[in-house]
Amino acid sequence: MNNKKMYYSRLRRGLISAFFIFILVPTLFVSWVTIYNLRKCAIQRIENSGVRMAEDRTDAVSQYLNKQIILLSTLAGMYPIKIMGDQPHLDQLFRSVNERGDVVDLHVIDSAGKQLAYVGPYRSSIEGKNYKDAPWFKEAMVAGKHVSDVFMGYRNVPHLVVAVTDPLKTYVFRATINSEKFNALLLRAQTGPSGDAYIVNRHGEFQTPSLQGTIELAAAEKNLLEYHEGTSTRTIGPFLYTSSWMKDGQWLLVVKSKISDSLGTFNERRNNSLMIITASSMLFLGAAVLLCRYMVGRLEQDDRRRADMDQQMVQVEKMASIGRLAAGIAHEINNPLQMITNQAGWIEELLPDEDPEAVKNLGEYQDAVTKIKYHVRRAGTITHRLLGFSRRMSAEKESVSVNELLEETVSFVENEAVNHNIIIEQLLDKNLPTTMTDGPQLQQVFLNLLNNCLDAVEQNGRITITTKADDTSISIEFADSGPGISAEVMKQIFDPFFTTKDPGKGTGLGMSICYDIMKKLGGKIEVKNNKVGGAIFTLTLPLKHLSESGQGDRRTSGYDESIY
Amino acid sequence: MALFNVLVVDDEQEFRDMTIKRLSKRDIIAEGAENGEMAIERIKRGDIDVVLLDVKMPGMGGVATLREIKQIKPLIEVVMLTGHASVESGIDGMKLGAFDYLMKPMEFESLLEKLSEAYERKRIQQDKIEQAQIKRDMARPS
Repeated sequence: MNNKKMYYSRLRRGLISAFFIFILVPTLFVSWVTIYNLRKCAIQRIENSGVRMAEDRTDAVSQYLNKQIILLSTLAGMYPIKIMGDQPHLDQLFRSVNERGDVVDLHVIDSAGKQLAYVGPYRSSIEGKNYKDAPWFKEAMVAGKHVSDVFMGYRNVPHLVVAVTDPLKTYVFRATINSEKFNALLLRAQTGPSGDAYIVNRHGEFQTPSLQGTIELAAAEKNLLEYHEGTSTRTIGPFLYTSSWMKDGQWLLVVKSKISDSLGTFNERRNNSLMIITASSMLFLGAAVLLCRYMVGRLEQDDRRRADMDQQMVQVEKMASIGRLAAGIAHEINNPLQMITNQAGWIEELLPDEDPEAVKNLGEYQDAVTKIKYHVRRAGTITHRLLGFSRRMSAEKESVSVNELLEETVSFVENEAVNHNIIIEQLLDKNLPTTMTDGPQLQQVFLNLLNNCLDAVEQNGRITITTKADDTSISIEFADSGPGISAEVMKQIFDPFFTTKDPGKGTGLGMSICYDIMKKLGGKIEVKNNKVGGAIFTLTLPLKHLSESGQGDRRTSGYDESIY
Repeated sequence: MALFNVLVVDDEQEFRDMTIKRLSKRDIIAEGAENGEMAIERIKRGDIDVVLLDVKMPGMGGVATLREIKQIKPLIEVVMLTGHASVESGIDGMKLGAFDYLMKPMEFESLLEKLSEAYERKRIQQDKIEQAQIKRDMARPS
């Protein structure tokens, strides 16, 4: 029984595992692939957005610087050195061109590097200085225009300058770019709280301050300084770098964004998807578990039913075997019985011919003959019952006299009852009609119930069998004087394999078989406790007449009558 | 009790002898036959009213013997004797025209009663036939 339970439990677990492995795992794998691809798409979008941002900011910075160069070049083209070197003129010019505050100061330096005029906040620290050796001065004199890297200069403050010459290169007109305004151009490029945007020169020196306060490029970030055309995207650690060279390859504009910061929408969608997948997986798993339990339950039930039927078949086979055996025995016994009765009869016939005076024990002989005949009759009754039993074991539906069947069944257990001092009382309705049913099966029910009653009573008691009929059914009641049935046992009494007997003494199938047989015969079996003690089993059998079954009646007792 | 001739057909000699002895004691003329073939031979010679026929015998069985008897002497009544689970054979025998069947072990009185009933029927049948014959003879122009 436990093995069976373990088997079904294993089967249940196996099925659930199979569901999990063959359906849930692929689902999870597909989900993972989908999420992975979604993440890739999201990162691609971040890259595209970074590229657009880098290009946009590169254009903005270039335009800003070009604007300054054009402004300075225009002014340098308009005014000769004489006018431009005039301090009041430069003051006036500064006020008129710097309404937006794009520049910090303006310088006018002659071709020899001598400062001619200056307007701006650093006059004291740079007045009278010579710039002929300054790199930006040299570059401007050579190229006609120049935008410097950030440098400290005489003022000792990091700044960058835009310098142009007049068309005749008689002077250099220089403007110091307002760092705040210039740096502000990159503010828009920050993406997320960890995002950054800055410009570095070829040596990796910051031309604009890092928005995150970084002062030096990390070792891995130095790889960004490799020259490339257009805009490049690279992932270093958790960051995505988009860079674009500008100012003729002298500056590199870098837009740095933390991937996880930019995956907000993706994360939200991923979490939603995960939630849906988890919920549906749980739902599915739950459904699979329920389905498995249901299926295994059904299987268990079917197996039980089959085992039950097999047991019944075995029982029927057993009874049929007993029947055949009984027929054989009856055959062997009947012939000698016939001889005994013949011989006894012959003695009985001859005795009256004897002289009563001469035969001393004539009366005794006659008495002995009578007793022999009586006992032969008894033995004959038994062999005829055995024959009847044997015949019914192979019979199908027949017209059955329930009373006779009961009497016959009682005779099987009579000895056992007498041995245990149990009285079997038969209150049989004399007018009980016969009914078309399966006699052997019904007899098996009677036998099972009688055995159960005997087991329940054990010793010194009474079993009362009552039969009665109405228009549609016959009811047979087995009441015993045993201890009755507890409520707990009552619930399971007709379950297969349920037994109250000691291990090895009962299969637990007797009552279950009775239940099944009665169901099959179209009847029912009920049990209740008797108010005065003991249990009452009530069988109800439908009353079917010969015409309903279409089979011929058999003489079940006719030959008995013809014998004696 | 009317006297009549009985042929006891059974392979068991003791049964045969005892039955013959007891029938003879009641002035019934009884003879024995060991098997079906011998029974047919005896019947052919005539003077048999009722046959007590065992169903199970070696050689020609009871049912086959009955069929043969009914062919050669339809008026002879046959009482079948079944000793074991061959009740069906007894029933089959009745379908073939046996008067009745008896199951062993039986008491002699039952046997006697059955044989007498069988003879009675045979006699009635025979009387009917004889009267019919007389009627036919009387109707015939002399």
